[in-house]
Amino acid sequence: MSATPSAIGRPLRRGHGVTALAAWELKGAVRSRWVIGTAIVFAAISLGVTLLGLEALRGLGLSGVGPASAGLVNLGVLLPPLMGLLLGAGSIAGARERGLLAMMVAQPVSRASLIGGVFLGLTAALWITVAAGFGLAALVLAGVAKVSDLAPFGGLVVATLAVGTAGLGVGIGISSVAGGRTQAVALAVAVWFVMALGMDLALAGLGPAVQLGPRGLLVAVLLNPLEAGRILALLAANPSGSALGPFGTYLLARFDMTGSAVLLGSAIAAWTVIPLLVARSALRRRPI
Amino acid sequence: MRPEAVEATSALFTVGLSKAYGSHNVLDDITVCVSPGEIAVVSGSNGTGKSTLLRCVAGLIPFRGQARVAGLPVDGRRAVRRLIGYMPQSVQLPENVTVGEVVAFFARLRGVDPEPDDLPDGFLPAAERPIGILSGGQRQRVALAVALLGRPRLLLLDEPVANLDELGREGFWQTLRELSAEGTAALIASPMPSDLAGIADRAMVLDEGRVVFDGPMNGIHAVPKPPLESVDEPEDGEEVRA
Repeated sequence: MSATPSAIGRPLRRGHGVTALAAWELKGAVRSRWVIGTAIVFAAISLGVTLLGLEALRGLGLSGVGPASAGLVNLGVLLPPLMGLLLGAGSIAGARERGLLAMMVAQPVSRASLIGGVFLGLTAALWITVAAGFGLAALVLAGVAKVSDLAPFGGLVVATLAVGTAGLGVGIGISSVAGGRTQAVALAVAVWFVMALGMDLALAGLGPAVQLGPRGLLVAVLLNPLEAGRILALLAANPSGSALGPFGTYLLARFDMTGSAVLLGSAIAAWTVIPLLVARSALRRRPI
Repeated sequence: MRPEAVEATSALFTVGLSKAYGSHNVLDDITVCVSPGEIAVVSGSNGTGKSTLLRCVAGLIPFRGQARVAGLPVDGRRAVRRLIGYMPQSVQLPENVTVGEVVAFFARLRGVDPEPDDLPDGFLPAAERPIGILSGGQRQRVALAVALLGRPRLLLLDEPVANLDELGREGFWQTLRELSAEGTAALIASPMPSDLAGIADRAMVLDEGRVVFDGPMNGIHAVPKPPLESVDEPEDGEEVRA
């Protein structure tokens, strides 16, 4: 046994724990069969949607990337948030069940650093997954795209990454308050259903009765990160707002393009940050 | 010695440490003092609060009363956790990382050298071996190596040799003796205190959350055996906030 000097008392650099945890989570995620499988499925669906969209255009004798891009909007605001929710849901609850969370929390790392590190590492993994899928779509679209298509596609990618990240934040929040990994995953799927379908169905059912005007509709959009992401992507694709009908006209008249993007982006950011704060609080108060 | 001086010089000092899950007191008014270099075993039947005591001191669960490690209060701050090496009773390390990556990760979290120099040669599986192909005993060796990183002042080890073979146990006890000689204290939870005969300096026996014996190892045999029933510790969600 060699005598090493005791490292006790050596101060950790600020943010040191965050980077170590982020690297650890990213490494674990990219080696996980679940994440690799999800990336392959997402890439295959992105490619399929793109090819089908282009085929539809050719059938009509048109050119450009419009329908393919529209298909990718729906794909982008539905699948990445689900991936993020599931990835996040398994994180804290899974580590707690395996006893790994106890080992991590027993280290000289703050709870905020722990949540931040997990979030950053999984965000990187999610973004790599989305980049793989949309990268393939971009390669296919590059043959028919014009320079003017770049901004809408870029907006779509940004909106997709943003809603996916919000899903991840919500997933981590759920994971830190759930009783176990299975419960966290079930809750995450339920939350995704509510965001993806439930709110639309509720608005469709209640809309005529409650006379929801554009302002009420805006509140409903801000309360659902998936809808906020969808509107953001559609505004990027169509800056005139015509694709959004009267709601688009209201939004642009009330906030203009930049203001609308900031408003929607802030809503998505809030959906990301608030669950992370909940997770930090739960980690401080709940036994580990 | 004045109580303040004991607090400051002890590796671990608890006063009136209590923990309840709902209406069930798991730990009731525990006062413990472990000196630097001392190896103390916490024994008792299943569910008597051994693991809970270690988790309280490690700062993993809130509790009533006081606990100090090397004079610093266990209050959620990071400074005290730098002094503690903790190994839980059960840990499943990720299967898709290697031994070296696990040790390096925890060393980065502690801000210390990732070389587990304190352990005898051959104790740890090869650094490049994935956790997924290791046996339960080999995984436990990795968890022990993590607990020893940075040579903490206080080791909190929950059944540390439960899965180890004879050679592994001997190697670990030898390491623990050497660390103890250099001032590292250890609080070891074990339902089989006889396993630590010749290693531990002192034994504490818990029964229904109270210390019913605290003395030299050879005195533990005089402690009356509890009836043959185990009390399960309630789920975490049922705890009462301190």
